[in-house]
Formats: sequence, C-alpha cells, structure tokens
Amino acid sequence: MRIRSELIIFFLVISVLPLSAVVYISYNYSEGAIRDSVRATLSGATENTGNAIENWMDARKDDIRVISQLNVAVESPKEQFKDYIKIFENEHQGVYREFYMLDPSGNITFSDIDRTGNEGQKSYFQEALRGNIYVSDVSLSNISDTPEIIITGPVRKNGETVGVLAARVSLENLYRIIEKIDIGKSGEVFIVNQDGDIIFHKNRSRILQENINNNFAVKEVTYEKNGINEYVNYKGQKVLGSYYWLPLYRWGLIVEKNIDEAYVGVLILGKVMVAISLFAVMGVVFFAVVISGNITRPIKSLEEGSMGLLRGNFKPIPVTSVNEIGRLTELFNSMAGELLEIRKKLEAKIELANKDLEEKNKELTCANEELKKLDELKSDFLSLVSHELKTPLSSMKISAEHLESEENIDNATRKELLSIIIRNIDRQTRLINDILDLSKIEAGKTELHLENVSIREIADASFENIKQIANKKNISIILDIPNDLSSVMADREKLIIVLNNLFENALKFTSGGGSIILSAAEDSNSIEVSMKDTGIGMEKEKLEKIFDKFYQVDSSSRRKTGGCGLGLSISSGIIRAHDSVINVESEPGKGSTFSFKLKKG
Amino acid sequence: MIRDAIDNKIIELIKKNEKISNSEISRLLGIREAEIAERIQNFSDTRSKILLVDDEIDTLLPLKLSLEAEDYLVMGASNGFEALELAKANIPDLILLDIMMPGMDGYEVCAHLKKDPVMKNIPVIMLTAKDAVREKVKGLDIGADDYVTKPFNLNELKARIKSVMRRFGDQ
Repeated sequence: MRIRSELIIFFLVISVLPLSAVVYISYNYSEGAIRDSVRATLSGATENTGNAIENWMDARKDDIRVISQLNVAVESPKEQFKDYIKIFENEHQGVYREFYMLDPSGNITFSDIDRTGNEGQKSYFQEALRGNIYVSDVSLSNISDTPEIIITGPVRKNGETVGVLAARVSLENLYRIIEKIDIGKSGEVFIVNQDGDIIFHKNRSRILQENINNNFAVKEVTYEKNGINEYVNYKGQKVLGSYYWLPLYRWGLIVEKNIDEAYVGVLILGKVMVAISLFAVMGVVFFAVVISGNITRPIKSLEEGSMGLLRGNFKPIPVTSVNEIGRLTELFNSMAGELLEIRKKLEAKIELANKDLEEKNKELTCANEELKKLDELKSDFLSLVSHELKTPLSSMKISAEHLESEENIDNATRKELLSIIIRNIDRQTRLINDILDLSKIEAGKTELHLENVSIREIADASFENIKQIANKKNISIILDIPNDLSSVMADREKLIIVLNNLFENALKFTSGGGSIILSAAEDSNSIEVSMKDTGIGMEKEKLEKIFDKFYQVDSSSRRKTGGCGLGLSISSGIIRAHDSVINVESEPGKGSTFSFKLKKG
Repeated sequence: MIRDAIDNKIIELIKKNEKISNSEISRLLGIREAEIAERIQNFSDTRSKILLVDDEIDTLLPLKLSLEAEDYLVMGASNGFEALELAKANIPDLILLDIMMPGMDGYEVCAHLKKDPVMKNIPVIMLTAKDAVREKVKGLDIGADDYVTKPFNLNELKARIKSVMRRFGDQ
C-alpha cells in the first residue's frame, strides 16, 4: 500500500473514530435534552392553556355572580336591565349570546333576545336555584350550531333566592386562547368531557359527535391525570400528546403534536451532526491528502531519483524542505553523485577489461584456428606420409605377389615387374631419407662438414642430377656463374641437396619451353646464389608457407608435379644451419626467384 | 554387354561386308585401327570387364597383369577424367578406383558415377593408401561398394572382386 493511502487511512482512523464517538455521545445527550425540552414546553403550554381556560371560565362565572347580585338585575325595571346587559355584552364582544332570567318555576322571565320558555328541568337551573354558580355541559347552540355553555347563578333578594340568572356563553372565545399553543401543521388541540366526548375542537363538526375514549391521552385525562406521552392517536399517527385535567369543569385539555414535528429539533440535530461529521471527515481527508502529499512528494522524488540512478539517467532531486526528508534528499543526491562516479569508473574499467578480454579472445580464437590448422596439417601430414609410404609398398607387393603366383611369365614382363619393385624401393628409400634428414634438421642435429666449396662445382653436380628431367620437359637450364667466383664455406653434399631441391621445385612449376637460371654473385663477405624460373609463380600469402613440411601450393598438383613437399623444408633447414636464410620473390604468372647468401671461404 | 553407337556402326559394316578389313573400317569411321581391333575383339569377349583407375603407373601395371591372369578384361585409367570416359564408353562390370589422384580424386569420380543413371549400377571398389576410418566411411557414403587399403593382399582383392561381382550379378 502506498504511504499516502496509509497516511490518509491513519488520519481518518485517529480523527474520525474519536469524532464519531463525540458526535454520537453529543447527539444522544442533545437528543434527550431536546426531547425533554419539547415535552416540558408542550406540557407547560398545555398547563398554561388549561389555566387560561380556567381563568377565562372563572371570569365568566364571576360575571354571572356579579350581575346576579346587582340591584339592576333584581330591582330595576326589565328595560333598564336589558340596557345594562346590552352594554355588558358589547363590552364582552362575542362572549355572551344571551342573558336571561328564570323565576323559581323555571319560566323565562327575561331574555335580552326576548326568548320565552321553561327550563325548570335543566340541571343548571336546579343547581343555581340551590344557590350555586353552575356551569352546564357543553351543548350546541340551536341558532348557530356552535358549542356553548350555560352558566347560571342564583338571584337573591333579601337573602332569599328569587330567581336564576343564566347566560349562554359561546366557547368560540376559547379558540383565541388555544391558538396560542404551537401545535405545528398537523397537531390538534381538543377538550373532552369526562365521558371522552369531544366538547371542543378546531373542527367544529366533530364537537359532541365523536367519542374517542380509546385515545391514550383521553383515557388518562378522564382518570383526571395530567401528563405527556408518546402514543398513536385516533388517526393512527404517532404523536406526542400532553393532557391536562380541568377539575372544576371536568374537562380534559389534550394537545397532540405530530411526533416528527414535535421532535423536529432532534431531526435537525441529527442532520447537523451528520453534516458536521461529513464536513469533519472531508476536512480530515483534505488535510490528510495535503499533509500526506507534502510528506510523500519528496519520498516520491527520492523513489524516482533511485529509479533514475538504477537506469543510469539520474538527475539531482530538488530539495524542497529543511526537515529530515530534505536532509535525506541532500544526502541521497551526494550519495548518488558518488555512486555515479564509481559507476563511471567501474564502467570504464569494465570496458577496458572487456576490450582486454576481446583481444584475448581474439588471440585465443586465432590460436585455436592455428591449432586447428596445425591439427589439420598434422592429419594431412600423416595421411600424406601414409600414402607416400604405402603407395610404393603397394606397387612392390602387387608386383612381387604376381611374380610369385604366376609361373608362366614372359621375361619382358618379369623384368618390368622387377624394375617396378626396384624403382619403388628407391623411391621409398629417398622418401625415408628425406624424412630422416628433415627430422635431424628440425631437431637441430644436422652435422655440417664445412669446407671450401666452389658454387660452380656444386651447380654442375646438381645440373647433372636434373638435366634429364629438364630435357624431358623441354625446359632450358642456364648456369650463370662467373669462373672467378670465390668459394664458399659450406657442406658440399648438403648444398647439392639444396640446389637439387630448388631445381626440382622450379622444374615442377615451370612448363615446357620455360627456363631456369642459376646465377651467383659475390660481395665483400658473401656469395649470393639465385635461382630464377619462368614458372607459374605464387601469391604473396603463400610465400610464407612454402617452407612448411609437406606444403603444396595446390594440393591437387601433388601428383602432377611429383614430390611430397619436403624439398623446400629440407633446403631451408640446411641453409639455416649455414646461418643464412632462403629468400623467395614471386608473382603469379611471372615465375619465382629463390636466393640465399653463403659466407666466403 | 552394352554396346555403344560406334560398336553398332562397326557391326553394320561387318554385316554388309563380312570380309571388310579393320583398316577399312578405321578409314570409314575415322577411328584408330587399334581401337577397331579392340572393339571387334570385345564383341566376342565374354570375360568380365574391370576398369582399373590409378595414377601410379607402378601400381596400375602389375595389378592389370594380375587381374588379366585371372581372366578379367582389364582397362586402365591414370586419372579421373579418363576413368569416367572409359566407364561411359565400355560400362565395365566393376571399377577399382584409387582415391588420391591429381585433378579429379576418387571420391569425385565415384560421386559422378553414382549420379549417372547408366553407370550408377557399376560396382566400385575403392583402392587407397588412406586407411583412416573417416576416409573409409566417406568413400562408402559416396557410394563405393567396398574399400581395400594399400598395400593389400592380391588374393584378398581378387576374392573381394568376385564377391562384389557376385552380389551385383545376383541383383
């Protein structure tokens, strides 16, 4: 995993986990507090409203008590009382719908709306007649179909109850009181009587039409309890309901608020907490990215620098900070510089070593080639020796076997076969001598019998040996040797061998009609002997090899030219034994010249 | 016995005139009289023909004598080119072939023989002083039917010749 990712995860872990814990605990505490506060507010508001309703109702009862004790109600003519009542009603706009008086029999004796009738059976009448201020149950007005109550009080004259004052009080005024309670969009405020009948509701059509005593709050309040709780209301919605019992009037005030609306603060708190958490996480991630970037950037540069160093294209890493990483970068730069230096030196050394190795390799390859050639030469040499030795043996053997097996052989054939045998014995003897000579020469065991030797004499002797072949091949031999030439210090026999070999070699490569010139010239110390032919000559690269054993310029020419390639090796060895060398100059098609110098005698 | 065009012409001339002389045929065909005599002798010769190829005259001559004593008709060639010409003209029953020869060596001659549709069936015995195994293998690979190293026992050679001829005669 990359350091940057690790750092981000690390920051997230060390910041988000505690943050989450704090947020969670705060949320829980806050939620409880908010719930408590909401419940307190709602129950407070319910209680206040209940008190307000009670106060209002008390005021109405006081109104009745006061008016019923007024002289104008007892003593004054009806018209005057009516005027008073009108003025009073006007002062309490919309509260009172009717004031009326009843005699002890229940007959309406006065009505400000001139109504007549008997209400002697009504409980509110009978209770008032007993001397009490009485509040009736809620009923719907016959005229406006809106809820109303009737408050009655006794009218006394001289301490005796002479009638009952009754007032029909509209409950519409309660709306003004309860509207002050915050119940949200879908909340409800209603009042029930002890039986659970709705006696006051915003929706007027439900008043006295529904009984909702299965409602939790209704049940509680009809048990004359006050309180607040969460429950499912008659609509099936979960609500927070507060209930307050008004004992004087046997009413239960119930305020219900949709639970979500009631606890909207909790929801908002949750959202705020989530938002804060998200913001914090984003902030942490942002800072982690920035910080980890700051930390890892120089490390990345170091990594790239290392790769560059590895690939050989290193560039110094810019130092961007003065902290540990900055110092590490500086150290790395200097270390890389030194490494590059060392690398260059090493490369130079390796290059040198490689060159050296290549040269050695070349040398080895050359040596190997040489060895191979030598091996081939050796094989070739053995093959040649084998062939050269066996061929005459074979001729001799066939001839001898034929002579032995055939009895009737004519003399001429017999002679021919014998001469073949003798000729091949000579040939083999010569070859063996050549090989032995060469072995001696190569082993440095050549014994020279040095004496004063005349080149002319040697040349003549040698000429005698080869003149037959020269004549046969129609090659002219010219001996260009001054008569007064000084003698040389040499081994006579071996010098003859040298000249013989040179002649034989020249004859081999010179075709009919050509010539071979043997010449000699002297200077103060030595005499130079040269043999020039008009033969086929050789390429320069072959000149170095012609003195090798069994070397043939053209291997296929062996039989054509005769000899087995030992002559020049032997001659060269003999001249070397005389502390000299045989030089050769040649050009293809223009003949060859062999020459050597010998010390004067 | 396979006869070439010259043989056929000679036979035609003899058929026309039974008393025609060798010199007359020589004149008519432009061929040496000695060759005419040899060809005419060959017509009636039922001996097995052996072509002996060796650049060593000293080997060629005694070997020829020895084989002729065994009643073979022996033709000699001293180099590869001559050997191929003689082989083509006479289709011998066997060729004794030396390897080390100037110009064209025995390997090349053998390779030429074995490529030729007519001559490839002539058995070849290599005769050579080269006795390394690789050289023997090379010779046999090229198509030689037997390999005899010099110096050899004459009787052994004769036995090998008979053996090879018998083998080819059977085929």
